[in-house]
Amino acid sequence: MSLRIPDRLGGRAAIAGIGATEFSKDSGRSELALAAEAVRAALADAGLRPGEVDGLVTFTMDTSPEITLAQAVGIGELSFFSRVHYGGGAACAVVQQAALAVATGTAEVVVCYRAFNERSGRRFGAGAQRHQPSAEGVALGWVLPFGLLTPASWVAMTARRYLHVHGLRPEVFGRVAVSCRRYAATNPAAYFYGRPLTLAEHAASRWIAEPLRLLDCCQETDGGLALVVTSLERARDLRHSPAVIRAAAQGAGHAQEMMTGFYRADIASLPELGVVGRQLWRSTGLGPSDVQVAILYDHFTPFVLMQLEELGFCGPGEGAEFVAEDVLPLNTHGGQLGEAYLHGMNGIAEAVRQLRGTAVNQVAGAANVLVTAGTGVPTSGLLLGADG
Amino acid sequence: MSSDLDRRLRAYQGRPAACGTGKDPVNAPMIRHWCEAIGDRNPAWAGKEPLAPPAMLQVWTMAGLSGGPPVDPPGGPSGSPPPSALPELTALLAESGCTAVVATDCEQEYLRPLRPGEVITFESVIESVSPRKKTRLGHGHFITTVMEIRADGIPAGRHRFRVLRYAPGAPPEKPAGPRPERPRPVVNRDNAGFWDGVAERRLLIQRCTACGRLRFPWLPGCAACGSPHWTTVESAGTGTVHSYVVMHHPPFPAFDPPYAVGLIELAEGVRMISNVVGVEPGRITVGMPVRLEFLSAGEGQLLPVFRAVEPGRRMLPPMTVPITRTLIVAGALASRDFQDVHHDPEAARAKGAPDIFMNILTTNGLVGRYIGENFGPRAVIEKMAIRLGVPNYPGDTLTLTGTVAEDGDPREVTVTGVNALGRHVSAAVVLREAGR
Repeated sequence: MSLRIPDRLGGRAAIAGIGATEFSKDSGRSELALAAEAVRAALADAGLRPGEVDGLVTFTMDTSPEITLAQAVGIGELSFFSRVHYGGGAACAVVQQAALAVATGTAEVVVCYRAFNERSGRRFGAGAQRHQPSAEGVALGWVLPFGLLTPASWVAMTARRYLHVHGLRPEVFGRVAVSCRRYAATNPAAYFYGRPLTLAEHAASRWIAEPLRLLDCCQETDGGLALVVTSLERARDLRHSPAVIRAAAQGAGHAQEMMTGFYRADIASLPELGVVGRQLWRSTGLGPSDVQVAILYDHFTPFVLMQLEELGFCGPGEGAEFVAEDVLPLNTHGGQLGEAYLHGMNGIAEAVRQLRGTAVNQVAGAANVLVTAGTGVPTSGLLLGADG
Repeated sequence: MSSDLDRRLRAYQGRPAACGTGKDPVNAPMIRHWCEAIGDRNPAWAGKEPLAPPAMLQVWTMAGLSGGPPVDPPGGPSGSPPPSALPELTALLAESGCTAVVATDCEQEYLRPLRPGEVITFESVIESVSPRKKTRLGHGHFITTVMEIRADGIPAGRHRFRVLRYAPGAPPEKPAGPRPERPRPVVNRDNAGFWDGVAERRLLIQRCTACGRLRFPWLPGCAACGSPHWTTVESAGTGTVHSYVVMHHPPFPAFDPPYAVGLIELAEGVRMISNVVGVEPGRITVGMPVRLEFLSAGEGQLLPVFRAVEPGRRMLPPMTVPITRTLIVAGALASRDFQDVHHDPEAARAKGAPDIFMNILTTNGLVGRYIGENFGPRAVIEKMAIRLGVPNYPGDTLTLTGTVAEDGDPREVTVTGVNALGRHVSAAVVLREAGR
């Protein structure tokens, strides 16, 4: 994919297998064990043996190295291994990396994985008060002495500006929470299975980093998730109908920062996702009206609204109204607010299920599903389609 | 049991507290000593016909080192003064464990300036005794007295004074001393220049010498033109709140939630994250004007923070006062306050403080000095009310800042003094700018 010319990746690779552990608040096993379990499940789902895997991709934040995971799962020689940086912004990019490897013949079967004990181990929401004096540490370090120490607080700064620019109140963020929890309530794999939410309950939840309330923040989860990527031709011979990778893109904006993008001209938007969206639409010739399901990374509710606006589903400031109208099935697994926080990887698995026709909240005729990764950071996106 | 005590305490309300004549008339030597201790160089308090600084009002009524009852008014109009109920009240509170005392509030009204030679007489009553309260120092009772002060028999001022008599925690509930430090800035060769500037109380912005673009955060190259060459410009320190967050959860030891973090857009056009101070978090608005000041955040660490200015008010420049042992001791003695906690470290430690600390009369004097430095010798203070927060210990630095209403005569001024422990004093002052 390129910013200026259409790429030739679309239609050459597909997601052929998905696998996950249970989603919990205390897994009781190591992050490596979770990763291995998810990878075995994904390979079984695809109908492939570990020995057939020659590529592995994960997040730079993952604690299970590709070489160690390979040993634990019984994968032998590897011809491709890669990692993507920037936290949850990597989610769709790991699939892009795998697709690129498959399309160029660098590898035949690539597994993407992410596993952590994010709830029982190191919680991102607990905040970090210290960083190394690297360029990355310095970039985050500008905000630490003033007490802006958590992901919620970084997003809240953008969210406040968004509300101000559009003359909205923090209660509008509740639309996203209510929508996600409605789907989670009917998803047995979701942490919030059987527990829908009302706008009033959202508005009554306590402040975390005003204007963000508790129910504007996704949950924290222990678990693992893996995806098997191979060529479309090979995928057609495997157990499930392929989820075709029609387009995959990464994006970073002007003056991009890692969660602290406060210095760019307009902070009430997500230009990094604009970069991704422009590539996805141009590469496929599709637009918002061609998408039947959208899985938008929901670490914090305001960024779902801003993603809808950035991708052209609605105009600036109209995101909450758009969600309320309920015209686009959104985060049909319950999202990270409702199902689990797996750094966006569980959203990709949901997109695959929608295309296979096996989702618990199945959308009839789902042929094109848009998936995004974490925003507010350098991000990524996928347009997945049904085969044929 | 406690309610029985409360009932007995309430009975002291309205009873006499002190009545008498100042041990010395208003006099130039005491004025000079006091001005030297406080560092007050207001010319109105010097020269051949000095006036007494209004903040000295209480000084003329102090008993001094010998203590004892105030001098009876010699042939005063009321004959022999009524006996004070304070010793009895103090003894009753001491019985209940409240053996320590600390002043918390001082509200003064000045009806006219005092001049050398005038004889001070005063009468005070116990205005209120609070039920038992839980405070940072321990359980205790607030006692408020109101004193009418005359000079040569003519009303000159009113002095409302509140002390906390408390049971010192043994051991104290929280160890005294500075709160845990904030996270330090992350500094490397690329941004050291910024923090070096902050250490000199200068907020430096990088400026590309090739294209002239200002930039923040600091980077070794220009995002607009790519040039590695740059210089710095010093920010004028004014800006507006571009966005803000009020932090509630999770708690961090160095911060007291809810606290406000702002994205400040400087007048020069760049933005930075900082704290918005001087306004309740709930009253911050996007677009609110702010002004730079520097906060001492632990050993050798200054931080640039921004004080919000509410509509209709303007900022006063800050005044920084190093809290030396000399200032604390000289201020206490010049105000005739010989309480041992203000000059004797051993005695202070025995009462649960880590060291000696500044007395309220010195703080009052520093607020008065700040007003004088901002409004000049012609300004006349009509009222000054201060409330103390955390103590001033030796080695700290007190920074006084203030805002003043744009309009009105008399004008209303608010002053805040912060040190490394937090807010030391909040003051509300009413003055006439050209009253002399």
